[in-house]
Amino acid sequence: MKYFGLIRANLGRNKLRTALTGGAIMLAVALVCILLTMPAGMNALLDTISSNTRISVHNKAGIVYSMPYAFTRKVRAIDGVAAAVGMTWYGGAYEEAGRVTFPNFAVEAEYVGDVYPDYKIDPQQLADFKRYRDGAIVGRQTMKKYGWKIGDRITLKSTVWPADLDVRIVGEITNERAPMLWLNREYLDEALKARGGSGLGIVGVVWVRAADPARVNAIMRTADELSRNSEAETASETEKSFFSNFFGSLQGFVTIILIVTGLVALCIVFIAANTASMAVRERSGELAVMKAMGFTRGIIFGTLFTEAVLLSSVAGFLGVGLTLGLTKLLSAAAGWNDTLGPLGAFIVTVPVIVEGIFLSLFVGMLAGFVPSWGAARKPVVQILHEVF
Amino acid sequence: MTTALIEIRNVSRHYTRGVDEIHALDNVSLDLQAGRFVAFMGPSGSGKSTLLNLVSGIDRPSSGEVIVAGARLNDLSEDELAHWRARHVGLIFQFFNLMPVLNALDNVALPLLLTDLDKKERLRRAETALRVVGLGHRLDHYPRTLSGGEQQRVAIARAVVTDPDLIVADEPTGDLDARNAEEILTLLRQLKNEFGKTIVMVTHDPRALRFVDAALHLDKGVLLEGEAAARADEAIRLAAGGGLVGALRTA
Repeated sequence: MKYFGLIRANLGRNKLRTALTGGAIMLAVALVCILLTMPAGMNALLDTISSNTRISVHNKAGIVYSMPYAFTRKVRAIDGVAAAVGMTWYGGAYEEAGRVTFPNFAVEAEYVGDVYPDYKIDPQQLADFKRYRDGAIVGRQTMKKYGWKIGDRITLKSTVWPADLDVRIVGEITNERAPMLWLNREYLDEALKARGGSGLGIVGVVWVRAADPARVNAIMRTADELSRNSEAETASETEKSFFSNFFGSLQGFVTIILIVTGLVALCIVFIAANTASMAVRERSGELAVMKAMGFTRGIIFGTLFTEAVLLSSVAGFLGVGLTLGLTKLLSAAAGWNDTLGPLGAFIVTVPVIVEGIFLSLFVGMLAGFVPSWGAARKPVVQILHEVF
Repeated sequence: MTTALIEIRNVSRHYTRGVDEIHALDNVSLDLQAGRFVAFMGPSGSGKSTLLNLVSGIDRPSSGEVIVAGARLNDLSEDELAHWRARHVGLIFQFFNLMPVLNALDNVALPLLLTDLDKKERLRRAETALRVVGLGHRLDHYPRTLSGGEQQRVAIARAVVTDPDLIVADEPTGDLDARNAEEILTLLRQLKNEFGKTIVMVTHDPRALRFVDAALHLDKGVLLEGEAAARADEAIRLAAGGGLVGALRTA
């Protein structure tokens, strides 16, 4: 502690250089923290859209493969299932020919509200959805995107089924980030039959709500047992796991983020190491005198090393602070600007703060070690000869 | 019988520079009593700085024995030597070598960081040392705002602040004008007279002979003795009094 004054004085020796190096470390730590926030943010995003009681039952071969519609009833009958709804990808395109701009499914209108009570759909709207075959419930994000309102009629051109449908919006999923559109399964079934087909005899995914989170595993096992040795064996998983796999490409994105994070960390090590080396080099005369006075190698190493770590740590704390400020700003901005989308979910968590601070400590230690050790280990007579 | 503060026994210092082996000192022996003010003199490359480094525990001999203040320096490790220097030696350099980021008071207090004294006591002692060298009014001045003579006074205060047994000075007047050089030599003499300090100084400055108790002459790594030493001494006295022509005539 008694050397703190000396360390502080040396940090103030070249204020501009100290400020520039500290600034570089601060920005890099902030960048790393923001990047590290993204995987956590995605996880948080999955948490917000997932329920711990909801299960997805789908074809073991993948979600693009279907299951017999009758399987929905079997799942619904499993002990512990509070509700289950069959969903089939409709793939309807609106306006932009041939391109699906929001997810849309044919669902069982009488059950969907029971599986998604957390979506807080108005009971009257759910009742209308059951009542009107051409009814549709749409997520608020898509409602806003296209300026739709309850009562509007829209036409969807399916990219999957030979049946374009006119639907009437009868309800809204109030979640600001909900993009999906649900249309009535029976409506699609009738449309397909009207065009000479056999109707909608399949289902893509059966979504189940367990009565109790403790029953989730048992229900998943039973559902998969029921389909064993059938033509469409199933693989059940929790909703969070389902979305996580569904957005599988995000894992690659996360990997890229982590690689970039590592490279940024490496860059700041080089910047800080360069500064520490310069600081030691320009002070070699003073260090020689200090050693001659009786400052041991340990003290010389300790003061130089502490100087590097202190600069890096202070910059790291500022970087973490900057991250907190930026993410709060993004979060606030996402509230009134939808184009920022999920950025609002990227909140700095305690682990990210700890990682940022440890990163700055690590950078300081790595950058300070080599020049400090080099200055400390030279015999005093050698350094005096070199300098004077 | 007075015990010598510095005992040097058959000391040689050889080192290699590239492919050449340099014999900086060759079989030098001498005793110096405590309280003496002694100058090592000689031409460049004579070994006087090497001898100063050995006496101050900065370097170790290739052979022979160096005993200072009762410690056999040959036996001490690098860190032990550092601890020993901190307790027993005060250093003065030609170019002052103050820390530019510290003011005069903190520069003088710097060696006291190696003691167990608290900050208040360190600063009190540093202030006293600065008053002794006549810089009580320059405590918070940084080196860049001080003249060369003042900087060397600060360096002297830094050397004495730990109350060492031995003060070593390497060309303390080498970077000063005549007036400041005289003042610094006078100050060193005062330290010897008033505080009983033992001072060993390397210098080329012939004026130093007026202030020191003895001048030891080295040439090509050998300590001159007898008639050779007397002639070297006379040459320097003449240089100090009669200039270069007189000195050359005597040499």
